Amino acid sequence: MDSSAVRIQFTLNGEPRSAECPVETTALKLIRDFLKLRGTKEGCGIGECGACTIILDGKAVNSCLMLAAQLDGRNVQTIEGLSTGEALHPIQKAFVRNHGVQCGFCTPGLLMSTKALLDENPAPTRQEISEAIAGNLCRCTGYRQILASIEDAAGRGSRKD
Amino acid sequence: MGHLSYVRPQTLEAALDHLDRHGGATKILAGGTDLVVDLRNGGVRPAFILDVSRLTELKGISLTEEGLSVGAGVTLAEIQASKVLQQHAPALWKCAFTFASRQIRNVATIGGNVAHCSPCGDTVPPLVIHEARAVLADRKGMRHVPVEQIASGPYACSLPSGEIILRFILRPANGITFCDFQKIVRRKELATARINAAAMARQEPDGRISFLRFSLGSCTPTPRRMPEVEDRLMGRAPTLKMIWEAGRLLAERTIAVTGRRPSTVYKESAIQGLFFRILYPLVRS
Repeated sequence: MDSSAVRIQFTLNGEPRSAECPVETTALKLIRDFLKLRGTKEGCGIGECGACTIILDGKAVNSCLMLAAQLDGRNVQTIEGLSTGEALHPIQKAFVRNHGVQCGFCTPGLLMSTKALLDENPAPTRQEISEAIAGNLCRCTGYRQILASIEDAAGRGSRKD
Repeated sequence: MGHLSYVRPQTLEAALDHLDRHGGATKILAGGTDLVVDLRNGGVRPAFILDVSRLTELKGISLTEEGLSVGAGVTLAEIQASKVLQQHAPALWKCAFTFASRQIRNVATIGGNVAHCSPCGDTVPPLVIHEARAVLADRKGMRHVPVEQIASGPYACSLPSGEIILRFILRPANGITFCDFQKIVRRKELATARINAAAMARQEPDGRISFLRFSLGSCTPTPRRMPEVEDRLMGRAPTLKMIWEAGRLLAERTIAVTGRRPSTVYKESAIQGLFFRILYPLVRS
């Protein structure tokens, strides 16, 4: 691979995808502007706010700090892959139940950080939850409802992929 | 942006071949968490991005005959999860817990943190107290360079463009009774250090310090140890007063390097305070 455009192939929300984009394209731009999946948000663009969080090979990462080329050959999950059609994922339901969403801009990132956390650690302590979402800023809720939502989602333990 | 190419070599040899031909026009991408920001704001304009994130030669943490080896491509999350580092390089292990955010730790690498040459890189003081050497490779061979010599100034890397950092070799903390990393930050998480520091010591049963390494980060343009400060406490059973005075000496020596600037009023006390906060557990009542 050696040209001004990159061709990549990866798995996106369980489906094989391929794309071609300029080298400097971030993973975030690829997802939003090339693949038209607008659930993943751009907040700060420099890795401070976490609104762009996606799951890459099971780990939460900031898609704004990554080149699209780095996704090649890997398994990517975005917020669009969380629900099944109209049926919300248990984590999403827990956020609704506990008023973990206000303006909603940070929510996709928080849901992806939560998904990565619970996949790895199904019964996290409040401290572990807090640490896992420290890279996701929310300017509305004051975080208490978000922490409650995640504890609720973990407690119910009926997660599915 | 001009013509930019992305190269992801399959082997270390191919990476070194590329650097041999195009090193000066290339930026190496390990995790990309600093590089992608620099690309975006135009801070760097390379012709090539060399993605080394999948090279197995840059991976792994192990105790070897030459010391404790930490691959340049090891992520901060891997450092955080490493039992070997928890035991043999506790300050490095500890610094990973407060390094940026989970999302960044999952991607960012120790090699990238060192090569980026930010004065406030959190992995640097822990590497310095372990007298870490970087193992560098180019097409002609390998050499070792002390971590303190990699930065030539803030965000300026002294390494030739044909070279890549393969791994770091740390002196393991054998017989060490005390080790810590702390930083002063504006908030608890996701916070760039205003000042950071690491220390490692061996204290004899009678309280005397028989080995001490201390490194202050973020305050000088390039990382360094302050041997005079270590010498001040060596061989002695420290009292609170001795540690407070050694902290004073550290602040003075640091200001001797940087000169007095507007931030000195704060840093002078903060350096002394951080030194005291880290080392006061060595005081026996």
